[in-house]
Amino acid sequence: MADRKPKVIGFVCERHGMEAAVLSARSGKQHDASVRLVEVPCTGRVDGIHLLKAFEDGADAVFVFGCLEKNCYYDTGSIEGRKRVGYVKQMLEEAGIEKERLEMFNAASSNAWMFPKAVEKMVEVAKKLGPIEKGGDGQ
Amino acid sequence: MIVAKRKPLAEIVEMVRPYKKVTVVGCRSCVAICLAGGEKEVKMLVSALRLRAKKDGRKQEFEGFVVERQCEKEWVKEVEEKLLDSDLTLSMACSLGAQTIGDMYPSHLTFPGLNTGMFGVPEEQGVWSEKCVGCGNCIIHTTGGICPIARCAKSMLNGPCGGSANRKCEVNLEVDCAWAAIYDRLKLQNRLDLIEPITPAKDWSTSHAGGRRTYVREDAKLTPHQKKGKEALK
Amino acid sequence: MKAKIQVVICRCCSEVPALLNTDRLAMLATDADMVVSVKSVDAVCDGKDLAGVMGEAKEKEVDRAVVLACHKRDVAPALLRAYKRAGVNEFMIKLVNLREEVVLPHQAQPERAQAKAEAMLRAALVRSVMLQPRERQTEEMRTNNVVIIGAGVSGQAAARAAAKAGAHTVILEKTGKTMKAPGVILPHSQLIGAKGWTGNYTLTIRVGEKVEELEAAAIIVATGGGWTELKGPLAKAVKDAVPLYKLHERMENNDLPKGPVVVVDTPDPAGKTLKVQDYAWDDTLETVIELKKRAPSTEAYVVFQEMRAFGLNELAYKEAADIGIRFIRYDKAGAPKVDPKAPAKLAVKDFAQGEVLSIPFGTLVFASIPPNKDNEGIADALRIPMAFDGGIRRGSIQRGPVETVRPGIYVCGSALFPKSRELAEREGEMAGSMAGEFVKTGRTSYGGSVAEVEQEKCSACLTCVRTCPYEAPFIGRASKAEIRTELCQGCGICVGICPSKAIELHHYTDDQIMGEARSLLGGDF
Repeated sequence: MADRKPKVIGFVCERHGMEAAVLSARSGKQHDASVRLVEVPCTGRVDGIHLLKAFEDGADAVFVFGCLEKNCYYDTGSIEGRKRVGYVKQMLEEAGIEKERLEMFNAASSNAWMFPKAVEKMVEVAKKLGPIEKGGDGQ
Repeated sequence: MIVAKRKPLAEIVEMVRPYKKVTVVGCRSCVAICLAGGEKEVKMLVSALRLRAKKDGRKQEFEGFVVERQCEKEWVKEVEEKLLDSDLTLSMACSLGAQTIGDMYPSHLTFPGLNTGMFGVPEEQGVWSEKCVGCGNCIIHTTGGICPIARCAKSMLNGPCGGSANRKCEVNLEVDCAWAAIYDRLKLQNRLDLIEPITPAKDWSTSHAGGRRTYVREDAKLTPHQKKGKEALK
Repeated sequence: MKAKIQVVICRCCSEVPALLNTDRLAMLATDADMVVSVKSVDAVCDGKDLAGVMGEAKEKEVDRAVVLACHKRDVAPALLRAYKRAGVNEFMIKLVNLREEVVLPHQAQPERAQAKAEAMLRAALVRSVMLQPRERQTEEMRTNNVVIIGAGVSGQAAARAAAKAGAHTVILEKTGKTMKAPGVILPHSQLIGAKGWTGNYTLTIRVGEKVEELEAAAIIVATGGGWTELKGPLAKAVKDAVPLYKLHERMENNDLPKGPVVVVDTPDPAGKTLKVQDYAWDDTLETVIELKKRAPSTEAYVVFQEMRAFGLNELAYKEAADIGIRFIRYDKAGAPKVDPKAPAKLAVKDFAQGEVLSIPFGTLVFASIPPNKDNEGIADALRIPMAFDGGIRRGSIQRGPVETVRPGIYVCGSALFPKSRELAEREGEMAGSMAGEFVKTGRTSYGGSVAEVEQEKCSACLTCVRTCPYEAPFIGRASKAEIRTELCQGCGICVGICPSKAIELHHYTDDQIMGEARSLLGGDF
């Protein structure tokens, strides 16, 4: 297979999540272009179905990025987000798929380094594990 | 309600492995409520199975949908075409649903995707506990509203046993002793007089131990005259 | 009817073309299905550029737009207003953040940035076609009443601030105490129940013996709150510790404590349940100084983690030190302990010396202000959650530092968490001012991107009812779930959790989210 770039997708809440991502960009922080984002009102909106479908549609790694749990704009949204991610990670593991491919991150809107850190981590996972289908680029 | 749990995914993956086209069918009733087999769980399972097939390099087709109540023939009949257009149906309903499909289409393979567990109540969101074992002869009016058959590890009728300590069961220290709870309840209701007389040994013939049970309401049954023409209830 | 999409490509004053080929983006847009207008501008935030875009939007009768620009929060307000005037519903605009998602962070990867930008454009077009127009409902506020529960320091400050903004204030005070405050003051009154939503609440209150109804456009909870007991390991060893407010009460009745007196700065020095709060200082210093002045022979120690008196109150440190009050600083590792076997001695590691001091005490006092047990009943009546330590839970700091989880219901002072009088007053001002300004608008709005239940699919499992932070879902007619639009905040928590997929969030439906994700994942990265 030719030099296939890793595919990472992130579900980012439009409150602290996206604000943190924007702040990191405005602070001049750089990150790998292997990531594309879908904005949701709250990480509590994220359904396990969305996460699994993202893998079906070709993602090598998926992350969810939301408010700090004690400071979620919608009170308990990122707590719910964490639970959804946890459940799908468990399903992935049971189904014999590496659960590291899915991760949840939290940040305050004033945190400029968390977003690039999350991207870096997930791109690394994507590179290491490669695509899910058999015979994909992986080490 | 009936409370079930999805079988471990590894088991399901092996179960469905040999079949090229699999329909996964859930239910909107009990299993949706106990978060085991509703539309969401069905869709997630279908996704996970597709991913696993992708990883193994195996060509397998999975489709998922739900019916209102899988133990009712009429609702199963509505999706007959979709069900039969597959090599295997994986039921995400309780075993009642899985068996209904199996009985309706005996030459079609229908496997259970859930382990049907118990009659349970939601203690809190996400926690279901067993409170009834369907013994067929309810006596909770004599035990302050608490069932000793379901909640006592030994199903005693004249508990507690000698192992009960600090209001906990000797089988599992996390479990409350049902008879301690019954005592407290009867005390609260000023009915402690009920606890002294010895209840005779249970007649288990009304429970599953007496054989598979069938309940009949003669007045509800459709007469042959009424049944005529209703193909669905063959 | 076929969609008519306008695509706007903002150059962000040449920032974008420095990295991306915007001509190619424009070309891709032009060639795309259902796109009837493509505008490339220097700055969509500039009035002139914006006018040009809107002109063409009106001319081509577009019904939706995809705008490639910068961060939504900056560019959306003016853009949505302009599109509204041009006849395009605000929920039909899809904003793509090329600047902060692509241009700024991928400076060293121009080719990959280009591929990403093109993918984002394609995905936005896919999403755009799926969008539906939505209307927000606006409702007039029936009154301009701001109802304040509690006539303490923060409640009075809230009333003053709300009245200044033009609201009509009604204070519910459970005692018979009188005070000077604007508006109406109802002594011997309590909140029993509440119905309605932001801007139009109907409260049930008890005034004396009578039960009445009271309309409220906004509500401020200023009931106060504090602790009555020690927490953590110290609580096990010392059974008769005195909260500071009780010490103050006793001193007022000439009941001076048995010495030596040791004051701990928090009900939980080991810090497992509570953090040190700033209220500790003003009241602590004031009380201990007075005690020492009245009983100079009593030994007095103050054991603290951080000293944080408010403003000029710091002068009290010197006064206290001068009259012989001893201050001992500790950190978590050396937190004060009492050995149950030697219960009259407090062991604490002096931070400066590094030595463990053993202080015999006659009375152990811990900094605390009077609690309010009514908070539970009020939280229940208003259907708002409480914080773990008995206060009212704050909505996120971002949403409003003095707002509860429910918009339109504010909380200030020690009802949030115990604090000094001055801070309680400041917070009261803040809450009163926010409530007053809100009520001044005379209008409340809801709807738009809200959740809706498809009744046929609902299993009435109660999951949404139990999970929503705003209690918007309820089991209604036909024993199926319904969402009260007026209360729905559009977070989608219920949507993501529904086991039967019976709830949809307008403007963020499953199809829209997954459709966009799928499009983004297509092709090479």
